[in-house]
Amino acid sequence: MQDTAIQMSGITKSFGSLAANENVNLTVLNGEIHALLGENGAGKSTLMNMLSGIYSPDSGSIFINGKEVRFSSPKDSIALGIGMIHQHFKLIDVLTAKENIVIGQKGGFFTRGKNLTAKIKKLSDEYGLDVNPDKKVYDMPVGEKQALEIIKVLYRGARILILDEPTAVLTPQEIKKLFSIIRNMKEKGCAVVIITHKLGEVMEISDRITILRKGRSVGTVVTKEIEVPPLIEMMVGKKVDLSIKKSRVEGKEDLLALDEVTVLDSEKKQALKSVSFTLRSGEILGVAGVAKSGQKELCEAIAGLVPADKGRIFFNGENILGKSPGEIIKMGIRMGFIPEDRLGMGLVAGMDIVHNIILKDYQGQKGVFLKRGPCVKKAERIVDSLEILTPSVFTPVKKLSGGNIQKVLLGREIDSNPKVLITAYPVRGLDIGASYKIYDLLNEQKERGAGVLFVGEDLDVLMELCDRVMVLCDGRITGIVDPDTVTKEDIGLLMTGVAERRQA
Amino acid sequence: MKRILLLALALLTALSLAACGGNGGGQTGDDESFDGMIKVGFILIGSKTDGGFSQAHANGIDELEAYFGGLVKTMAVENVDDQNRQDIRSAAENMIDAGCTVIIGCSYGYMETMAELAEEYPDIYFLHFSGSMMNDTNFDNYFGAMEEPRYLAGIVAGMMTETNKVGYVAAYPYTEVQIGINAFALGVQSVNPGAVVNVVYINTWYDPEKEKSAAQALLAQGCDVLEQHCDTAGPIIAAQEAGAYAIGYNLDKPDSAPKAYLTAPVWDHGAYYIDVIKKILDGTFSPESYYGNMASGYVGLAPLSDLVPGDVKAKVEEVKARIMSGEFAPFSGEILYADGSVLCEDGQTLNRDQIWEINRVVKGVNATE
Amino acid sequence: MMKITQRAELPKGREWAIRAAAVLLSIVFAGTVIAALGFDPIKVFAQIVNGSVGSQMRLNQTILKAIPLTITSMGILVAFKMKFWNIGGEGQIMMGAMGATYAALHLPPDLPPTAMLAMLAAASVICGGAWAFIPAYFKAKFGTNETIFTLMMNYIAIKWVTYLQYDLWKDPGSLGFPRIAAFPPSAVLPKLFGIHVGWIVAVLSVVLVYIFVNHTKKGYEVTVIGESVETARYAGMNIKHVMIAAMLVSGGLCGLTGMVQASAVEKTLTYSLSANYGFTAIITTWLGRLSAPAVAIVCFAFAMLIQGGAYLQIALLIPASVAEMIQGIILFFVLGSEFFIQYRVSFSRRAARGVA
Repeated sequence: MQDTAIQMSGITKSFGSLAANENVNLTVLNGEIHALLGENGAGKSTLMNMLSGIYSPDSGSIFINGKEVRFSSPKDSIALGIGMIHQHFKLIDVLTAKENIVIGQKGGFFTRGKNLTAKIKKLSDEYGLDVNPDKKVYDMPVGEKQALEIIKVLYRGARILILDEPTAVLTPQEIKKLFSIIRNMKEKGCAVVIITHKLGEVMEISDRITILRKGRSVGTVVTKEIEVPPLIEMMVGKKVDLSIKKSRVEGKEDLLALDEVTVLDSEKKQALKSVSFTLRSGEILGVAGVAKSGQKELCEAIAGLVPADKGRIFFNGENILGKSPGEIIKMGIRMGFIPEDRLGMGLVAGMDIVHNIILKDYQGQKGVFLKRGPCVKKAERIVDSLEILTPSVFTPVKKLSGGNIQKVLLGREIDSNPKVLITAYPVRGLDIGASYKIYDLLNEQKERGAGVLFVGEDLDVLMELCDRVMVLCDGRITGIVDPDTVTKEDIGLLMTGVAERRQA
Repeated sequence: MKRILLLALALLTALSLAACGGNGGGQTGDDESFDGMIKVGFILIGSKTDGGFSQAHANGIDELEAYFGGLVKTMAVENVDDQNRQDIRSAAENMIDAGCTVIIGCSYGYMETMAELAEEYPDIYFLHFSGSMMNDTNFDNYFGAMEEPRYLAGIVAGMMTETNKVGYVAAYPYTEVQIGINAFALGVQSVNPGAVVNVVYINTWYDPEKEKSAAQALLAQGCDVLEQHCDTAGPIIAAQEAGAYAIGYNLDKPDSAPKAYLTAPVWDHGAYYIDVIKKILDGTFSPESYYGNMASGYVGLAPLSDLVPGDVKAKVEEVKARIMSGEFAPFSGEILYADGSVLCEDGQTLNRDQIWEINRVVKGVNATE
Repeated sequence: MMKITQRAELPKGREWAIRAAAVLLSIVFAGTVIAALGFDPIKVFAQIVNGSVGSQMRLNQTILKAIPLTITSMGILVAFKMKFWNIGGEGQIMMGAMGATYAALHLPPDLPPTAMLAMLAAASVICGGAWAFIPAYFKAKFGTNETIFTLMMNYIAIKWVTYLQYDLWKDPGSLGFPRIAAFPPSAVLPKLFGIHVGWIVAVLSVVLVYIFVNHTKKGYEVTVIGESVETARYAGMNIKHVMIAAMLVSGGLCGLTGMVQASAVEKTLTYSLSANYGFTAIITTWLGRLSAPAVAIVCFAFAMLIQGGAYLQIALLIPASVAEMIQGIILFFVLGSEFFIQYRVSFSRRAARGVA
């Protein structure tokens, strides 16, 4: 028999003047996998943070197992058997799995020993979690860390699990494993809430879906009874055309060539291992790989932000390896770079659009004083042409929405007609409409003759958008493939390093 | 930017509202119905209750007010660092602004600032304690022959020490201080030729912590009677804690450490203040560089406490009478500096100017700078 | 049960309401304490205003106090704009004053005053800048923590000047009293409208720092580095170079405060010359939200509070400690309000434990 695990009704939560949740209703049953679907900023995380006691609602009520509750801290929530697995793991690297599990728990650190190991073993077997209790966290692959997080909350007696974007860091194979764990939990009568914006996964794993849009709950549907397009419509609020055009550009020439480039990270470990490839004009070269496979280092090495240990990088035949960004700019090289961390690296969050446009402009100015005039015009032009929604060009960029922030950054970078455009996760966190606008802009650049490096995370998008897809695994290139001739699973195998393939 | 402007405005408005509500149009509180003869402003280096130097002046201020029974009004700015001219000037100008026509500065370091002010404000009288600068009209200094009671204190210490080591907590290796050390040491030697005086300079006039720890250092050296030339009761307290004796300075204050306190060379500033204000009021004031002594009552030795035996008391009384009658002066007869050079020749008595040329310590004094 | 959470950006109106409330509360609270001590609070507050701007002489006093605070704050501002936490204003003031003093005592005293003062100013800027260069260099080169570094350098500078005063540069003509010789008249800043020309230096420093931060390329680089070092790197800025240059400006301005105080006020060098301006400037710079004109206004408000407080002693015969307490209360509330602007505090009943 299925009784109600969570019932949230009429939940409202505001931050300042912004209503993050407004009259949201959510009911989750025991033994059910319930997906919480919505675009970025729809209020999913806020809602779940209220369930885990991090925030308290301004109004509305929460019932757990039929009893009204009021949390004042995460402790209260844990006491009621609610466990949240965050997108960013909260583990201590230098401790073992076992130690991570007991840390912060009542009782001694050393007293449990064997008892504890047995209990962890039992939990692992029960749910099919693959965790070695005595392994240090830093030795674990991402999948195992996640399994450890799950055991941690189960150990604390959680019967209601909330998983925030659990698949973002996993390979297709690891995702499969996670899903089977989640199904096990369902079998044991747990209630599982999974937060995601990936539609394919939602359709595959969930029993029911609650859709949030702009802080309101749009509705709850039974997964079996709905198709993808109406789901998107509920999520976005309008019909969206979900096709990416891929045009072919003729007459390609080599623009950027990497030759055996090796980059060390801050701990002197090789983050990029002897990477060689060529980026041509008129193409979008996709870069696939699980998170932290060397994508960041690849982009930053090309942009001159991290020093390479070995190798050469040719731009139009000139070796730019070892040059600082300032020197690259002075060489007159037209290269655009959309870094992963837009507000932390690509833009100055507290400055307005004009001053963010100046960032790439001022070094060319003569004299001591800063000339704003031309940049105001340029900013206005970019705002117009990319349809950036902003009160004015003098609005701090941090006040803009994610999509508009990305448009400011992209607008600035393509304004100089770059020959090479490096983009790292350019649609991360953007809503569906904004994402497609970005894809269009990248295609425009490609048609103009620029070479675009596109680091992405959604394999479907990578395969639809890119002319070639390069796969990174642990800092090595495991393959460069033509997406029209391979399957998603093939790329997944390259991502885990099980297979290697060179073609195209 | 705008916010801060508003903040400042808000603060101002709030305060001004309070101001207007207060006493109809912001009339200064100090001006309220004062129809006396003169306002006198004091600048003090410490607080009025420091148990020493500034308190001695504060007592003088009280005597002054009491004597004139409301016709003279006083005000004082306490804790004015004598190394900070901005603060000294500010204290003086604020009091001038509040109607003071006499400014009395009670620390040596105020001297140059007061000299400047005397030039800028020719209508205001400036009186400076312990200084050496003056002019012909409105700037004068005043001090006293503290060497006289210091010598007497030396007799007490010299007769009461058993270790034959006497400690002296001193401010700066500066003339005024060295006069006191030397007079004291001569007093000690007059009754106990074998005794030595150990001196520690703390390089400040006023610092209760430093004064006390310097005293502890001296006690650790084996000194069993302490004397001081600094502003607080720190050394006396340290002596009591160590079971030793101590002689104070500035004012008679036996209660802070009754088991150690013997006596103290003291100032009676009130006598001078009453006298000088009288002169200013009747128009007979002219700068004279006042130098009071025991005979005039400006300096003296506080009553000896019960810890002092009768023979010591008798000796002190005897020498005191000879000094007051002019028969004897501390700096007379053959006196040698510690380095062997001559300070005073046999048969000679140093006059005030000669005394104020002293720049090192006499024989029998161990001073480390 | 109390919870503290970071606020999303507050509307300006609300921010203002909080600040106004803080000022009001501080007045009410300080007033209560004053009343409890047996003084009339309304009179006391009236005298703070009256004592700071009530007459020409008092206004002059206020301005005199605002001058060193303003120049130092401008120096601190340039460093803070870069998020370089220069807590070393005290030391930089001291070293600046030392440089000026060296020049004043060693240059021929019959130099024309303009030349003399220009040399003094140059010496102070160089010495203050050099003192700030040390932590800046170490931060740029080795990534040392500038907060601790600059803080420690204060004590080195103060002890060094103490040593100069008590020994190395002690004036032999001072009867053994430990002090450094006075400046010759040509090395003393002249007065204009009754106040030494340090006020012009202060006004100029505000204007120049405003232009530097808002209208120069270097100022722009400083601001970008302050907002995000990563972005600065991304934009191809030479961060180490900018950091050192900005600290030279910052230390140079603090050093200039030292020259102004040594030349116009003390007319010599003393170990207490910095008088905590380097620390107070941190508060004023912060309250002024790193905007030069705003910081200047805060500095003036601060000087009013100090002068008004000092005047209380005289006007109402209130002990110095009470005046200082009032200053403390007002500061406590005004600084405290910044906390409430950034965080919200909510109270909720302890959660009823449900089924376990």
